[in-house]
Amino acid sequence: MNQSSTNTNLARAFTIGAILAVVLLIVRYSQVRGSVVVLMAINAVLALSLYLPLMTGQLSLASPGFYAIGGYIAAIFSTKVFTNVGTPFPIPLIIVEMAISAAVCGFVAVLVGIPALRLRGIYLALATIALVEILRVAALNLEITGGAVGIFGIPQPFATIASLEYLYIAVPLLLFSMFFVARLEQSRVGRAFAALREDELAANAMGINPTYFKVLSFALGAMLAGVAGALAGHFLNTWNARQGTFDASILILAYVLVGGSRTFIGPVLGAALLSALPELLRDLGDISGIPAWLVSFFKDGRLIIFGMLIAAGAYFFPYGLITPEIFRRRKRELTPRALNKAAVQEGKSHL
Amino acid sequence: MNLLESQGLTRRFGGLVAVDVVSFGVQEGEIFGLIGPNGAGKTTLFNLMTGLIPPSAGRLIYKGEDITNRRPYQIAQLGIARTFQNIRLFGTLSALENVMIARHLHTKAGVLQGVFGLSPAPQEEKITYQRATELLDLVGLADRAEQKARNFSYGDQRRLEIARALALEPKVLLLDEPAAGMNQNEKHNLSDFIRRLRAQFNLTIVLIEHYVPLVMGLCDRIAVLNFGKLIALGAPEAVQNDPAVIEAYLGD
Repeated sequence: MNQSSTNTNLARAFTIGAILAVVLLIVRYSQVRGSVVVLMAINAVLALSLYLPLMTGQLSLASPGFYAIGGYIAAIFSTKVFTNVGTPFPIPLIIVEMAISAAVCGFVAVLVGIPALRLRGIYLALATIALVEILRVAALNLEITGGAVGIFGIPQPFATIASLEYLYIAVPLLLFSMFFVARLEQSRVGRAFAALREDELAANAMGINPTYFKVLSFALGAMLAGVAGALAGHFLNTWNARQGTFDASILILAYVLVGGSRTFIGPVLGAALLSALPELLRDLGDISGIPAWLVSFFKDGRLIIFGMLIAAGAYFFPYGLITPEIFRRRKRELTPRALNKAAVQEGKSHL
Repeated sequence: MNLLESQGLTRRFGGLVAVDVVSFGVQEGEIFGLIGPNGAGKTTLFNLMTGLIPPSAGRLIYKGEDITNRRPYQIAQLGIARTFQNIRLFGTLSALENVMIARHLHTKAGVLQGVFGLSPAPQEEKITYQRATELLDLVGLADRAEQKARNFSYGDQRRLEIARALALEPKVLLLDEPAAGMNQNEKHNLSDFIRRLRAQFNLTIVLIEHYVPLVMGLCDRIAVLNFGKLIALGAPEAVQNDPAVIEAYLGD
């Protein structure tokens, strides 16, 4: 066996391990802390919202900004507009809030995207960080967003706060988002996205309008982030300027990088794993017989461990845990038969 | 009548004049050769003609219409397709995907139609797949449609670029050094292949080529560039015997 197939097998093993880990984490936390599982699903949607602009090769860290907008829209509508709707808060109204969030975020994204997407690479990332900051400072100072205090007591659609029942909304949303991205990748628009990611100049020469499709991918990502924010607003019960900050930009980027940025499964898995990580470390600290200093490191140094994992992931899995290659069937690998066939084709002159 | 016309196209890069007031017209249905020593400005001229870089001066005329400052995708919409000297395939995508992408202008489905399989997406997908497969077959790559473009040999990548350009259903096809990286046998077959393309797709072809026997045997007319200037234009025999051309190629 050659080097590349060994690597592919190793990658497959890690992928299966990661999926198993996610399943185990879901089973464990749905028993004790349901909120973790809901967060896993919401964060997976956020990871997909970063993946969408990445489909055209645009690294946008603006998702938390749109997530914040979505949260405020849900908070404002449910506390100020949809009053007298009784308790628990009707789920259809949450879906209405999600739709409004998607529309507003899409509109803002188009306005911001047309000038911002003239930038590339790290400069675009910086511009999108600036957008997140602008929105945060605006939220801190506006009256409608509740200033520094934020908005409290966002109505709940279920009997308890942060209930596991939120999965009834979060899981369909995640499944729909995955379906959406998967189908998009196989469509005309998805192919235009991929062409822009691979070689913008060549795509341009093939008749693909780069600005149009880059803004489109940016806006689709923004809409998804806004929808996730609207759900998170209800789920977290309170919304303020600490939601959707630059920290969240980096976390969401970590989901995509650790999971793998070349297929939509990667961000979803990365988000599920890393969202559960802080809770997992807290649990580790509860195991008896562990030295006290390690327990306190697990509890207080969670973000340090998080950072180290991201760095280690970037070193050992530069393409993330999930790569398109592992889905490819084995027949494409270089077996002697395939090599022989290739050699025959080389000899044939077709022109 | 000229289908595509360069009227004094000029491009300066700082102090260097890469293309220096070049004027010529390409007639409908002809195979037009663009030759010249290295650094003569041939590829820059191609880039000007496809909108990849804007000209410093001069005009580009297509079917009597001034298209000088159009963007590359707008020029592609008019029916002008090209290949690249330094191959620019979508490397990590399959050969089939590369060609399907280039059917972009002949399909319309938006995000929602594509995602939910609403009309016209399903029909379009079927035709796109069909046409792409036909074109891969035409260039002899149909049996490797699923392989990544970057794993192809140099010559096969050139063939794939031609298939991709043809997927645009262009009226004018610009080929930038199509024979580069091909062996003698393949170069010989390339002439026949390009003639066949012209007949089959009703094409007007402009090609840059270093391999002189190919150009002389294939082209109806030839333009010779040297240091950005057009030094000769005409039938192959006339150009071949032009003293200015001989000097440009052999030096003084």
